[in-house]
Amino acid sequence: MTIAVDQTDQLSGQRSSNDLIACPGCDLLHFRQNLQIGEFARCERCSDVLQTRKPHTIDRSLALVLACIALLIISLCLPFMSLSRSGIESTISVLDAVGALWMSNMRWLGLMTLGFIVLLPLARLSLLGWVLWRIRFNRELRRSMPLAFRWAIKLEPWAMADIFMVGVVVSLVKVSTLANLQVGLAFWSLLILVALSILINQLLCRDSVWSYLNKAQ
Amino acid sequence: MVIPEQGTVNAREAGLKSCMTCGALQELREPRPCRQCGAIVLSRRANSLQRVWAFLIVGMMAYIPANIAPIMLTQSFSGNTSDTILSGVVSLIDSGSVGVGLIIFFASIGIPIAKFMIIIGLALSLQFRWDMSEHTAHRLHKITEFIGRWSMIDVFVVAVLAALIQLDSILTILPGAGINAFALSVVFTMLSAISFDPRLFWDTDKHVS
Repeated sequence: MTIAVDQTDQLSGQRSSNDLIACPGCDLLHFRQNLQIGEFARCERCSDVLQTRKPHTIDRSLALVLACIALLIISLCLPFMSLSRSGIESTISVLDAVGALWMSNMRWLGLMTLGFIVLLPLARLSLLGWVLWRIRFNRELRRSMPLAFRWAIKLEPWAMADIFMVGVVVSLVKVSTLANLQVGLAFWSLLILVALSILINQLLCRDSVWSYLNKAQ
Repeated sequence: MVIPEQGTVNAREAGLKSCMTCGALQELREPRPCRQCGAIVLSRRANSLQRVWAFLIVGMMAYIPANIAPIMLTQSFSGNTSDTILSGVVSLIDSGSVGVGLIIFFASIGIPIAKFMIIIGLALSLQFRWDMSEHTAHRLHKITEFIGRWSMIDVFVVAVLAALIQLDSILTILPGAGINAFALSVVFTMLSAISFDPRLFWDTDKHVS
């Protein structure tokens, strides 16, 4: 549900910046609205989202983040794919794949794959998990938590597990004529991970997290 | 250029600036980091347009060797073949996988070229204060930010195949130099798109800092 955000013409005298909010997309000033749970406010000019208030955001996001961390670890340990041709069979995990690239002098490609599908997603999930965990269980808020949450936001476009999965499917099609390729359990757990990551972006309410983090200061 | 309606005030015109990370407002002249999240707050991102151009030029330069050099080498007992981005698409379509061929075509050729054009258009319109609708610019910027990552598909395809298909003398796939150039091209165009400050599109004076 969307509610319209009115802008009044008395902004010039109003300097209490807590009552105001500027649109991140076009810098237009609006009055901050008291949203009901589940509502969000859009900019009246460029219709970017200004404010959100998502239900049970800390609980739900934390649950998803923990599930994602577990799935990521599972995906790293279990066999990802197996290949057979002319009686030779090879089974690899994600880490094996990176290791194979590293060993056969394709370090740059190996590192990039490792970074985009393992290290950056793991870093993002750990930062999110740490911040949400401390909020959820009413631990003392630390000064580094805003920094951690900021980086979790910044890393978002660089975690590319979803694109990797499309790449894997394309590879399956590409070599289906050359060899017999089968996907393992790690493939499926990575697939669920991708779905849950999308869900995290839907359910995580940054405004709520910032207001929790703000209370401490 | 659309003149803003009566009663619409930008944060900058009201003497305020908002944090790009968390949205908290502070006085325009206040040099301190954001009180809520600690990020450096700028009314408009510093040197936004310069960064866009710099990253874009590197991205476009890297895209040339990416298309000329082979991205994948296949060694088997029946001989060695090498594939460039385009020949990879053609061979996929030839072998009947039209859908997958089209995915790779869009990810590796369609999206990068569309992105170059859109970023050039947006950057030129800011640079020379062209009369482009703010809504159009805003939407185009959103699109480039969203689709940029998807160009990486081909990089992962080559990585998966090269890691998996190492059957010694029977069949081995090796990545070619082109894939490194292509990955760099994608990363730099992503950085270029991220460097835009969307608020610049809406400034009536198109103030470029």
